[in-house]
Amino acid sequence: MENEIHQVIPIQPAPYSRSRQAGEAQTVLDHIVDDFQENPAAMQYFYDLFRGVYCHGDEIPHSGKLVGTTCIQAPEELIYAFGATPVRLCNGSYHYDQRGADFMPAKSCSLVKATLGMLSSENVIPKIGKPDLVVNPSTCDQKKKSSAMIEGMGYSVYDLEFPNVKESEASRVYWRRSVREFAEQLRKLTGQRLTRAKLKAAMAMTGRAQAAFRTLHNFRRQTPSLILGKDAFLVTNAYFFDDIERWTAAVEKLNAELAERQAAGFRAVQSKAPRVVFTGSPPIFPNLKLPLLIEEAGGVVVADETCSANRMLYDMTAVDEWLVGDMVDSLADKYLKPCTCPIFTRNDDRKRRLLDLVDQFQADGVIYQAFSGCQVYEMEYRSVAEEFNKAGIPLLYIETDYSPDDQGQLSTRIEAFLESLKNRKKRHA
Amino acid sequence: MSAKPMLQRLRDAANEVDFNRFRFWFQLVAFVLFVYGGYLAIDLGSKLPFFSCGYNQEGRAGVCYLLPLQHQLGRNWAVLFSIASLSILTGFLGFALWFIVLNKGWCGFVCPLGTLQDWISALRRRLGIRFSNYTHGQFAQLTKIKFVLLALLILIPLGVGGGFFSHDMSPPFCLICPARMILPIFTGDLSQFTIDFSSKTAVVMTALGISVTALFLVGSFVKKRFFCFFCPMSALHYLISKPALLKLKKDGSKCTRCGDCYAVCDMEIKEIADDVTTTNIMTDDCTLCLKCVASCPETGALKATFAGIPIFVSTEAGFIKRMNKGCQHGK
Repeated sequence: MENEIHQVIPIQPAPYSRSRQAGEAQTVLDHIVDDFQENPAAMQYFYDLFRGVYCHGDEIPHSGKLVGTTCIQAPEELIYAFGATPVRLCNGSYHYDQRGADFMPAKSCSLVKATLGMLSSENVIPKIGKPDLVVNPSTCDQKKKSSAMIEGMGYSVYDLEFPNVKESEASRVYWRRSVREFAEQLRKLTGQRLTRAKLKAAMAMTGRAQAAFRTLHNFRRQTPSLILGKDAFLVTNAYFFDDIERWTAAVEKLNAELAERQAAGFRAVQSKAPRVVFTGSPPIFPNLKLPLLIEEAGGVVVADETCSANRMLYDMTAVDEWLVGDMVDSLADKYLKPCTCPIFTRNDDRKRRLLDLVDQFQADGVIYQAFSGCQVYEMEYRSVAEEFNKAGIPLLYIETDYSPDDQGQLSTRIEAFLESLKNRKKRHA
Repeated sequence: MSAKPMLQRLRDAANEVDFNRFRFWFQLVAFVLFVYGGYLAIDLGSKLPFFSCGYNQEGRAGVCYLLPLQHQLGRNWAVLFSIASLSILTGFLGFALWFIVLNKGWCGFVCPLGTLQDWISALRRRLGIRFSNYTHGQFAQLTKIKFVLLALLILIPLGVGGGFFSHDMSPPFCLICPARMILPIFTGDLSQFTIDFSSKTAVVMTALGISVTALFLVGSFVKKRFFCFFCPMSALHYLISKPALLKLKKDGSKCTRCGDCYAVCDMEIKEIADDVTTTNIMTDDCTLCLKCVASCPETGALKATFAGIPIFVSTEAGFIKRMNKGCQHGK
């Protein structure tokens, strides 16, 4: 016992900004900002936002109760109408993916592993604070089974019942009821009443955000492109956690700059750059691996069909009579009917949507990302590929995860694909 | 950037119009014209394809075709099956010519009884009461009723002419049509609110008429365009709608099936949102009110065409303008 060391030098906890996790975000963000030329000046807001939140661990203030959502199907207008703040919990960090792998089955998808990994850690980044309620729509199996696990981590979880079939009338009725029950749950959580004025104001707020998104989306039709896809993904990723009004103002500013670029005949890429539509598993910062590989290799992502961008913000709600009941039902329909998530039995809408995007955005090809373990995207690939074969549109299917290890081989495949698109373009010209 | 050409500006203005307001005023003018036009000696004939009710004898600016049609079909069979019945064919031709211009747009924009239901709906909305819907199953059953009524509207007069039914049953549809009782009220004529005790049949028919009118008033308060769902005129329209000039077109490739059009549809027509293959999307229940076009956020997915020329096209800009207006409205 004499040998006992009496003086223990306490280990100083390293600041977050020097952690490996911050480093991961830093590397990607530096790449996004520094390795591309002539980024729009208005993107600085988003670069700063991500640097603050992901690299320095800045806190994100919010008002009212915090409601975490694990899917785009949780109607955020309702959350806002109850004076609460929604935050999308879906996470893109490899650090959390590895953490989740400690307690999740090996074959689960990176997104679910990372989201649960994040929720299970003490210092959650982005630093949003502990959600007062986690809303988990019953979409894919992995998310469904997450409910109990998230609850086990000490969160209060609400299972938002979501149908697996969307064509039938029964599913519409079921889902509308489900959404009304969700509103009831929010009433219990916040102690507030859902009024016509509040819901209308919430819808006006998201409506303005969606209109701003659509304007940005439309600018991307321009050939050659005015803005790169990596920036567009960063913009929509910010929507996950940023204050919605600040976000909208920042996007409107970006749109104004794009309008100037358009008037000045600006080109963000070479005129021959292959135009790609991105579909499948969602790129979420810092996992912008594929979009970045595509644009490094000289391609440009002109549009996407993913739940971290287009699918989250595109579809807008129409209401006939602005009474609470009609507004809630219209919202419910908006969150179910146009959704192109592969968890549904059939997905003709997704195929039609992709074909329309390729047509409208004059895309040369489509890149389909499936996270390993995301069975529904993996299975749906076949039918999508058949459709594209028929239409004569080249499609590259990439199965990957959050790990940076496969970057080398992926970049080879992507370069080859883009090269073939270029050749094809030349032949057609 | 150069200024847009005149035609394009005109198109944009039309596509971004405050549609509900436009339609309100259009309907109001049409209502006044057809309910009070008679005082200005306006007479547009008796072949009108909507309920400009003939029983509104002083104010009407024309007569609903169903009235003369039933009278003509109710002729004695000896007359009916003679050369004199050529007038039935020419009458129908006149009706068809009127109809062809606006298609079912007569229902959504002109029919006074339709307009009246929209006003009753507006009253309900102002009271903050929500509308009711049919379930899917109810809809599928009820939608057939208008065809049954159309068949009866033709068969009963034939039966009357053939001596099978009492003359007190003629004209059968008019006797139960709510327009017969309600539209004359607007010119101060309450005489239709009576039960005719001259015969048993007359008692039954007029009592039925009063009940249907009561049902109409209650129904259209609860349900948007309650009566149009059962309207035999609407059924007749649908049967001859092929050559009509005004058409509702859908481009399924641009549709995301978001259901915004269905959400605003007074007639609860699901096909408008779910059907992505039919291009000519007007169904038998449609009133061509074009609210679906106004509430569609996908540019070019829905459009109204006149003789093949697009006159009102769904656009993203128009949608945002209209819906944001709705949002600010109650703030």
